[in-house]
Amino acid sequence: MRIAVLLSAGLHPVSGASVLPRVEAQAIRMAAGLGEAVGLHAGPEAAALAEALGQGLARIEHVGIAAGDDPVPALAARLAETGPDLILAGRRSQGGDESGLVPYALARALSIPLVPDVVAAAREAEGSLRLDQSLGRGALRRVSVRGPVVVTCHPDAPAPLAYAFGRARRGSVATLAATPAAIAAPTVAVEERPYRRRPKIVKGAPAGGSAAERLKAATGEGGSAASGRLLIQPDPEEAAREILAYLRQIGVLAAAGAAKSKT
Amino acid sequence: MSRPRRDPRAERAVSLVAGEGSRPRYDRTRRATGSGRPRRDPRAEREAQRIGGLARARYDLSQRGRSVGEAVTTPPRAAPAAEAPKTLVVEAPAFLVAVVPDAPGGRLSGHDRQVIGAARALAGREGAVAVIVEGACEGLGAAGADRMLRLEPAEGYDPAARAARIEAALADLGARHVLFPESLDGGDLARRVAVGLGEALFTNAEAVAAKGLVRPARGRRVEQSLTPPRLATVAPDAVADYAGPPREARALPFEGSAPPPPAKSILSATRIPADPATVPLSLAEFVVSAGNGLSDLDTFRHVVSALHATPGASRVLCDAGLMPRHAQVGASGTVLAATCYFALGISGAPQHLQGVAGCEHVVAVNTDLHAAMIERAGLAVVQDAQTVMPALLRLLAEEAAEATAREPAGEGTAP
Repeated sequence: MRIAVLLSAGLHPVSGASVLPRVEAQAIRMAAGLGEAVGLHAGPEAAALAEALGQGLARIEHVGIAAGDDPVPALAARLAETGPDLILAGRRSQGGDESGLVPYALARALSIPLVPDVVAAAREAEGSLRLDQSLGRGALRRVSVRGPVVVTCHPDAPAPLAYAFGRARRGSVATLAATPAAIAAPTVAVEERPYRRRPKIVKGAPAGGSAAERLKAATGEGGSAASGRLLIQPDPEEAAREILAYLRQIGVLAAAGAAKSKT
Repeated sequence: MSRPRRDPRAERAVSLVAGEGSRPRYDRTRRATGSGRPRRDPRAEREAQRIGGLARARYDLSQRGRSVGEAVTTPPRAAPAAEAPKTLVVEAPAFLVAVVPDAPGGRLSGHDRQVIGAARALAGREGAVAVIVEGACEGLGAAGADRMLRLEPAEGYDPAARAARIEAALADLGARHVLFPESLDGGDLARRVAVGLGEALFTNAEAVAAKGLVRPARGRRVEQSLTPPRLATVAPDAVADYAGPPREARALPFEGSAPPPPAKSILSATRIPADPATVPLSLAEFVVSAGNGLSDLDTFRHVVSALHATPGASRVLCDAGLMPRHAQVGASGTVLAATCYFALGISGAPQHLQGVAGCEHVVAVNTDLHAAMIERAGLAVVQDAQTVMPALLRLLAEEAAEATAREPAGEGTAP
């Protein structure tokens, strides 16, 4: 199985130094368990890619494009040439616009499906892939996919492999000439200024309420606790009945016997 | 002193205007009558002191027989009766702002409500918010939706086909702006739709107003602002819900195009629910937690598995080695994002309550009536948790036995 791992020129969120985003290192690990993987990067610089070699890639292809150009046509042209069975990418880039649109644009350009937010991948019989997709809160969706597919990796995937200096020395970065630039992606002219933190929205705070009411809502006293029930020294059986009724009312506990008999 | 004593509270209560929101409003022009204190009229008093009809004014300044001005009383104004909130109707909207919520299981999530609130802010007075839902969805009007466009729900997992259906609906609607929640599903759908339509997408907007949207970029070092674009996704917990009177959520007619053939590449998709016993505490939906008020931890573990919950513990139990460290709830352990937290024998130290601050519902069982956890809880039981746990187990076992006894009969009668 031939695998391509898309690499972005990530910047460290604190220091601003160029760094391999963690979710792409996780994608490299996911690829290592499936078959031979080749890294692919389109950008002006190849220097930031050495770290990906140390994370487990043996070979990286670097398509040189000018800074600020849309990488999608260059990547799509190269992927159409090589035709990998699986294209792995991170969920969002890091340090750029962080819009997460490149995998989708690639899948569209190559006319292949995309499965987002995958935490585990395994090969099945008959050449299909079994992908475990994160649905949040620990729930998964197991998707079985055939044919070439673009997969984005979720941060809940297994941790990346340890960085190995020897692997980074042995690996190679091949620089390829870019094909003539195709139609650029639609961009929007935005106005930039230093980031300003915004106050967090307090859930359940009444609109136009007083400061005391907002404080109540922020500390959790305004919600269910404000109308809370208090049972003082009840019979344990009665207390248990009340607790179960409350848990069923808020929907965290299945109704009595619902798991056994669905009518 | 013959002057009656003033009652400032009663005077204030009289000028209170009833029934206008939660914040008290006072009508300062209203005369206070609550204290019964007469209003003085100094001119009349002076006139009463005047002696005779002499050319030169002479006054008797002795305090005897001084007349006091008549008290000015006004009948209290009738308080306006609190009316039921009227449904707002936008009959001919100047433009539409479309929202595509996740609506898992036909109910709006908290994030969906925030996105509809953001759309409401964009729509203003003239515009209308149109929500595109698949299948039935409740509570749209209260969340701030003026129009509703209902698509037929599709079976199976085919995100590309869903995006195509939404694109067709958006083309039919002709909305000026389209907002998506930046959640796992919503963010995926937004990117598919943006690529499908070939338009730019403004992702992860943290501020939404009619004059512009703002999003963080480059590792939150800069923020980018833009006049409201056509397609945008809204970050969670960034925009407030709609708080006005309910709206009509009128259903719009829409004939969906013929469903495209199912994608051949996706062979199967099954949902695997989270295993509560192994899910990390920070992701758990329902946490049952033990504190120093418990001595029998075996029964506690049985209760946890019977309730299909994730076990947690207070710092004291983890320090004592009775529960694993990764089960610790609180400032130095895990900060929960659970829907429900069930505290057994936990008094609620401030550091522990910080870990519970994000939980929507709290149930507490503790012997101390004055414990902080009892105050925080939506259902508080002042009782020994050691006696409540066996009662819970007995009750759950009884219910399970009843269900198994009922099951064969149910199968026999079912057609």
